[in-house]
Amino acid sequence: MVQAVRRSSGLKYLLAGGAIVLAIGVIADWPGELPIALSTKKPTTLPCQQVIAEKSFLSRPQLSKFLTIPEGSTQAQVQAVMQEPFCQLPDLQVRPGVTARRLAYPLEFDPKTWLVVLYEGESYAGYAFSFRH
Amino acid sequence: MQAMRLAFGIKVWLGLVVLALLLGGCDRALAPKETVRLNLYQQWQLQPGDQLQGHAVLGGLGDISIQLNGQALYAPFAGQARQDDRQCLVFSSPDVPAYLFRLCGLSDRRLGEHPQGAVIGKAAVVHIATLRRQPDGKWAIVEPSKPILERFLTKS
Repeated sequence: MVQAVRRSSGLKYLLAGGAIVLAIGVIADWPGELPIALSTKKPTTLPCQQVIAEKSFLSRPQLSKFLTIPEGSTQAQVQAVMQEPFCQLPDLQVRPGVTARRLAYPLEFDPKTWLVVLYEGESYAGYAFSFRH
Repeated sequence: MQAMRLAFGIKVWLGLVVLALLLGGCDRALAPKETVRLNLYQQWQLQPGDQLQGHAVLGGLGDISIQLNGQALYAPFAGQARQDDRQCLVFSSPDVPAYLFRLCGLSDRRLGEHPQGAVIGKAAVVHIATLRRQPDGKWAIVEPSKPILERFLTKS
């Protein structure tokens, strides 16, 4: 009798636990997003087309100065506060007839994070932080 | 006996709370649900996603509409897919600063981080707009090159 009571209470916990896990699954919008989240592999690193300065890292003061430069400035204005980039990523043509050059600068205080700077012609178009290298 | 049951019950609940928190955390980190509000440089009255006399507006200024017949669209670079307030997908990549791609008309949209070449959605017809960031922070609709659009159509 005691055995039977124990078994039935165990079953109750199992059913209750299963129901709650199911509810969490529904709330988390499964199967809409969860399998995607689980199947997402870490993005692969974009290879450098050409390494320019192998031991080049951007210091915190250099980054601070860089972040004050407005988009649309000339490449010379940007490079005045930077050192040589670590590498150049393959050129792109996002717009027809306009070549986008991309230079990568690993951060001295976090070398796995790269500052990617995009130029079109002589004009500085924008930057982004790439966290995957 | 009662005490043991109570202790077991508490353990089960604690376990489930931790599990829920972990799942919630993962969900937020990997599949961002927040919508992107694009501050466009060219403000046309009608935008994709609007209604006109009860009919849906599917494309607008600067959209290139491509017939996919239900085929997949691929991430052109490693990057992130979010949705805007008109249910279009906004794709951005840290490898391509200053640009965004707005993709309307997708079904089976896949939000979150993607490696290059991952499927980001399917469509009968997809409407792609290419946006370039302006110095004032607004996004200007620009002409896309053929090679950049081809990256969306083939698994690279």
